[in-house]
Amino acid sequence: MRWERLPRPRALGYAIVIVLGGGILLATAWVLAGAYNVAASAKHFYVTDRLLKLVLYRSVDTYSAGIEVPPLRDAGLVRLGARHFVTGCQPCHAGPGMDQSPIAASMYPAAPALGNNVEDWESRELFWIVRHGLKFTGMPHWPGEGRDSEVWAVVAFLRELPKLSPQEYAELTRGPRSPGHGFPLDRPDLMAQCSGCHGDADNGPVASLAPSLNGQNTAYLIRALEEYAAGSRESGMMEPIAAALTESAREQLAQEFGSFASPTPSPPDGDSAERDARIARGAGIARDGIAQQNIPPCLACHSPGKSGQFPRLEALSEGYLIEQLNLFRDGTRSGTPYAEIMAPIARRLTKDQIADAAAYFSSVERGAREAPAAHAEARP
Amino acid sequence: MRTLRLASLLFLALPAGCGGVQSALVPRGAEATEIDALFWTVTWVSVAVTILVVSFVAIALWGPSRWRNIIADHWVVTVGGIALPVVVLSALLAYGLIVMQVGAARSASADGPGITIVGKRWWWEVIYDRPDGSTVMSANELRLPVGKPVEIRLESDNVIHSFWAPQLGGKLDMIPGRTNVLTLEATEAGISRAQCAEYCGGAHALMSMFVVAMPPEEYEAWLEAEARPASEPSDEAAERGRTLFLENGCGACHTVRGTDAAGVVGPDLTHVGSRRSLAAATLPNDRDAFARWIRDNQHIKPDNLMPPYGNLTDGELTAIAAYLDGLE
Repeated sequence: MRWERLPRPRALGYAIVIVLGGGILLATAWVLAGAYNVAASAKHFYVTDRLLKLVLYRSVDTYSAGIEVPPLRDAGLVRLGARHFVTGCQPCHAGPGMDQSPIAASMYPAAPALGNNVEDWESRELFWIVRHGLKFTGMPHWPGEGRDSEVWAVVAFLRELPKLSPQEYAELTRGPRSPGHGFPLDRPDLMAQCSGCHGDADNGPVASLAPSLNGQNTAYLIRALEEYAAGSRESGMMEPIAAALTESAREQLAQEFGSFASPTPSPPDGDSAERDARIARGAGIARDGIAQQNIPPCLACHSPGKSGQFPRLEALSEGYLIEQLNLFRDGTRSGTPYAEIMAPIARRLTKDQIADAAAYFSSVERGAREAPAAHAEARP
Repeated sequence: MRTLRLASLLFLALPAGCGGVQSALVPRGAEATEIDALFWTVTWVSVAVTILVVSFVAIALWGPSRWRNIIADHWVVTVGGIALPVVVLSALLAYGLIVMQVGAARSASADGPGITIVGKRWWWEVIYDRPDGSTVMSANELRLPVGKPVEIRLESDNVIHSFWAPQLGGKLDMIPGRTNVLTLEATEAGISRAQCAEYCGGAHALMSMFVVAMPPEEYEAWLEAEARPASEPSDEAAERGRTLFLENGCGACHTVRGTDAAGVVGPDLTHVGSRRSLAAATLPNDRDAFARWIRDNQHIKPDNLMPPYGNLTDGELTAIAAYLDGLE
């Protein structure tokens, strides 16, 4: 058979089949032979590197489109983000004035040492990266599913990061610590780690999202740590911390915090008529519930004399209470037996009623509490 | 074959549906007795009319020509096609109206303050008004004195339900924002069942209750007992059960008169141990059922308003069940 005898289109067809088939065979052989070097020490070609970066930038931009950025200029939010940054991010990304860990620098792609380069990203993009992580890099996604407000705390800090001097950074991340605290822990540094966000006997929490643990029921605190450690309660900040604690450390920490005097409430000051009205409405929900909406009184469970597994709510921050009720409502805080009790009730509350109840509890002292009103046989 | 078996099963099940505690064919109330007579009258008249019509059709098809000539006559159409239906239907209408009128007249005969039943999701709140103006809260069981017409006020604070105690009377809707009044008079003592007869949500079929008709003196004694606060726990297990009941916040939704539990969201449990069923005739009233309900109620009656208490251990559930079972 001679080439001239074949009609032109058919010759082209054979050529395509031979080239494609041969290509697939060669590619298969190349993969199976292990010819590609996956070593982190073997760098990409320049063009591959540029292409991968382009894909990354475009992907982050596209997928973060439409994310609404909440107000981030909040000192408490920045401090909370900073505290998490120290344990969660600094090991790879370093902080101002720090040398990056040689281990992180030897990753490929290397974790960028964060500084002015944060300015390259918009807040929505930073949120998306911290929330979802980056494939084929060392960047993990946020461990607390559904805890976006925690991610925003980190973003709030990242926005401030380029402006920080090493001293300011150290100041921000160290947190208030009472010197000479005689805490009989196996590891005394643990108490400092907790109080860095939650405060201690002498200092309040750093942000409204971080609840004060002072005077809280110890059974509840131990359960919360167990649930964080098991991943049944979601939090990108608390899960890694709780998982690293031994059982005895959890108990000791709970005892220590439970022994502190309860936090100071922020009572109605008369400056804000709106807040005062919220507190008044919240008091009604806390004491009597809302029968028409099948909402029982909060204090029927969250009060002294009830199971220690139910947390005390008085004098906790409004932000924390609203956040947690919303997590119950949207199903993020679910799956544990206790969450199954609270979630259906939280879902019966409107957003306004949640704000009312939170305002009330943030304004009252934990001891000074009126008994739930007796409403036996109360019928209109 | 399978269809045949299924059909024969259904056929066998038919007569079973005609007896029992929830059958309209076993009247034990004044209204039900009248409805029963109306029902059988209409049924037998219908049977007679059907036989008559089928006979005429048969004659028209296969009868000898002499018979066919007769039924082809004008007077057959005039009498059988116009006069007879007018007479029969008018008579039945009049009979039906008379029965309804008797029902309306009975409502005037009702004495005493009556009973309010509120349809909930998915259970019944039953409130007995007493002559002295006080009320007795109860739930998921209706008690009636035999031989006395009682005014039953039907209400709802959520969706439309319908109250139907087939052995005692007809059904009547419970409509949010309005009070419908039904007068029931039990004619003999005994236990029957009421059922929600208007689709009201996923667990509609599990919204039933027992209706207990008692001799008047027994009824008065029972109401007296029902008005009293809850009895004290009789043993250590029940005592522990009461502590657990209160500690775990059950009183947020439930009332047990005589304790701190004063909730108004769920059924009053002051005398729950004396009822014939749990969860609106969904479960028998025993300790196992209490324990199952507390931990697993969302499987037993999906989407009911009570959260499941999976946090309680077997021992704790047993103690709470012992306490509730003892609330007689």
